[in-house]
Amino acid sequence: MVNRTTAAPMVHLDNVSKNYGAVQALRSTHLEVRRGEFLTLLGPSGSGKTTLLNMIAGMTGPSDGQIWIDGRDVTEVPPSRRGIGMVFQNYALMPHMTIFQNIAFPLEIRRIPADEIRQRVMKVLEIVRLPNVAERKPKELSGGQQQRVSLARCIVYNPSLILMDEPLGALDKNLRDQMQLEIRRLHSELGITIVYVTHDQEEALNMSDRIMLMNGGSVEQLDTPHDLYYAPRTRFAAEFIGRSSLIPSEMIGGGQARLNDGSVVRVNRGANAGKGHLMVRPESMRLVQAGNVDAGMNALQGTLQGTLVTGGSITHFVAHSSNTTLIVQELANERRTAFTSGEQISVTWPVDAGIFLDR
Amino acid sequence: MMVGSGGELRLVGIAAWSILAFLILPSLIIIPIGFGNSNEIIFPPNRFGIELFVRFFTEPGWVSATLVSLRVACATTFLSVVVGVPAAYALSRGRFPGKRLLALFLLSPIMVPGVVVAVALYIYFARIGLRDGDVRLVLGHVVATLPFVIVTASAGLRQVDPALETAATIMGASRFYLFRRVTLPLIRPSIIAGALFAFLISFDEVVISWFVARADTTTLPVKMFSSIQWEVSAVLAAISTMLTALSALVCLAVARLQGKESA
Amino acid sequence: MARAGGLERQQALRIAFYAVPAAILMLAVFAVPLGTVVIQSFTSEASPGFTLASYAKILSATLFVRVSWKTLEITLLATAFALLLAYPLAYYMAQQPPRRRAMLMILVLVPFWTSVLVKSFAFTVILGQSGLVNTAISWLGLPPVKLLFNRIGVIIGMSHFLVPFMVFPILSNLLNQPRDLVSAASILGAGKWRIFWRVTLPLSMPGVMAGVLLVMILSLGFYVVPALLGGRQDMMLANLVDFYAREIIDWPMASALSVILMGTAAIAAIILSLIPGGSAILGGDER
Repeated sequence: MVNRTTAAPMVHLDNVSKNYGAVQALRSTHLEVRRGEFLTLLGPSGSGKTTLLNMIAGMTGPSDGQIWIDGRDVTEVPPSRRGIGMVFQNYALMPHMTIFQNIAFPLEIRRIPADEIRQRVMKVLEIVRLPNVAERKPKELSGGQQQRVSLARCIVYNPSLILMDEPLGALDKNLRDQMQLEIRRLHSELGITIVYVTHDQEEALNMSDRIMLMNGGSVEQLDTPHDLYYAPRTRFAAEFIGRSSLIPSEMIGGGQARLNDGSVVRVNRGANAGKGHLMVRPESMRLVQAGNVDAGMNALQGTLQGTLVTGGSITHFVAHSSNTTLIVQELANERRTAFTSGEQISVTWPVDAGIFLDR
Repeated sequence: MMVGSGGELRLVGIAAWSILAFLILPSLIIIPIGFGNSNEIIFPPNRFGIELFVRFFTEPGWVSATLVSLRVACATTFLSVVVGVPAAYALSRGRFPGKRLLALFLLSPIMVPGVVVAVALYIYFARIGLRDGDVRLVLGHVVATLPFVIVTASAGLRQVDPALETAATIMGASRFYLFRRVTLPLIRPSIIAGALFAFLISFDEVVISWFVARADTTTLPVKMFSSIQWEVSAVLAAISTMLTALSALVCLAVARLQGKESA
Repeated sequence: MARAGGLERQQALRIAFYAVPAAILMLAVFAVPLGTVVIQSFTSEASPGFTLASYAKILSATLFVRVSWKTLEITLLATAFALLLAYPLAYYMAQQPPRRRAMLMILVLVPFWTSVLVKSFAFTVILGQSGLVNTAISWLGLPPVKLLFNRIGVIIGMSHFLVPFMVFPILSNLLNQPRDLVSAASILGAGKWRIFWRVTLPLSMPGVMAGVLLVMILSLGFYVVPALLGGRQDMMLANLVDFYAREIIDWPMASALSVILMGTAAIAAIILSLIPGGSAILGGDER
């Protein structure tokens, strides 16, 4: 909607942490969510993403640090006074109320006159493309429809911030894709700020402006989907998002890394010293006949272990003598020469595609 | 578990049905007697009619005792629901020091023998000089009904999806608004079930009433108790028929409510 | 500036106020009266001030000793009979499909919720001199049996009352037993009886124990059934309390007796709460 003139971020977490007794659920964390941004908290269970969301919502208080929403310190403000909206995995629609009453509920709390409530509810039902369900009960609707209603219930009172806790987790695959588009559409049409929690990396990559990847109670990386994918900063980030070949190696200076079988490749991204892993995404790698390597490319010799054809793409698994499996992904219609399992081949990739990760 | 229902299972079935027959025999045998001979209690009766019911309504004492019981049961039910449901809410949603202890205290009357409560109230009411018969009965009965209301309401609260309350809170509902508009409607079947149980417990209560009732506020069970002990009037069969019907009605109503809640 | 989640604590604390009316009410009509009884039990008619005289008097009274033994005997017998009847019933119910089980449950619940007076009255009709049982016996040409106003009447009446209380914990245990165990045992070739003796029965022991304790606690306080179906000889402790409180009006004695009764029930309740699943029967919040 309208960008306030204040430059303050919509959500500002200042050194926020959470302990449960001796267990540290969230290590000191800093985060600024911009106005109108779609930010996703991504991570496995126990990574602290839900704890963080609950603290923004006010369901739990931080052990330390401060939380600001819309320029206001809300650290000690109860959830009912934070002026935010939330969408839940199981929709959380009131089973004893009709769809109309459900969506009217937050407006009634705000003591809005009855005719205005009627107008706003009807309008919002149109926005989520469910104009004819007002008098039905939630359990008469499908899961996807219920989640649309729960979105409607959220946007009807114009909260400055909407939190979404795995909102698509209960839906099947097709519906999930459709709802991803729907949420994106609402986000851009209404200009709302969304903080979204999921453990599904694909969902996060599809929808987010930025992703905060979390692991074991701390922030692993905060970046755009593109940078998180092509420029992961840790081994965890590389492994959690997409697939990759991770080759144990050591930087030996001069932009060169030595693998543990003695071979040397060129690397110009990532850390430039120390031991760690060289990461290359599968789609950056190519298979060529042994020795038939273009100049300027990195290359490793290996044995082709097997090939999986999945629709339009082909995935090869190549055993390298450093005891690593290299994963190579090619488009099916680009493959010219067929290789057979057990064959000695070369795997190549552009120097820019490799990143050295020392963590 | 029903792998090849052999002879053993049939044997268990016969035993189980015999036991069930033993359990419901007293309730069933009362009904024909209630509609039977008016002067002696025999089974099976050789005359049928509604004479005993007519005697119940015309003989002195029975109707007035029933009215006392009704009055007391209604007041007891009201008091225990109004006080018990919020208590169940606090016990299931709150986190405060001494919560377990409080739960133990509020539910402990279930484990204290009725006669001990009865004697305690008998002595206590005498000490503080509480003379009003109705008040004595209602306060006595609440000791027995409140734990039941708390238990049934707690069971209902456990079924409520916590996300619903979280959602309402985040949408801006205050604690009280949330309780009134979300939690209470959601646990209504449990509250009604608790109220029905409370009514039945109070209406049927004997021991506490036997101790705390005053001569002018004899409840129906107290009058029945002394009648069975001293004169064994055939009217008892008619009253028992009505009480059995009341119990059966409450059971069926609660069974329906529970079916509704799980649906 | 570390905070231990001050926000939640504040909110969760505020909910405690919803329990205040109930706490005050129970304090006034339950805790204080019981406290009065406890204090009363440490007084005596002879001397004001603290004394153990009432306890000394009651523990040495032959009436108390006799009635205690009677109560114990009746309690054990009634509990045993209730278990004998409840177990097969619960076992059968556990094997039925849910709809049928719900129907059977109503047949257990109706007598459970029927007034103890109605049940006792019905038993006077069934067990009396010219009652149902004796009529049947006389058809067989046998002499009538005295079933009422004696030990037999009390035991029958009490067992009948207690069976549902025993069925609930056993049934809930049987329903929670992992079904795979029985399937596994039968795949391994174990017969039905063998499965029952070696798997189902041992696993159901916590349910049985819970039921037995619950039923014993209830039997200790029985008042109506012995008064209506028993003879003068079958007075139980609860009836003795009444005798002291209202017939010979010795409140310290009645109080001391009440405290003894309460203490016994409390010990049984504590044991019950230590059994797995037992505290659920007490209505305790297990979370």
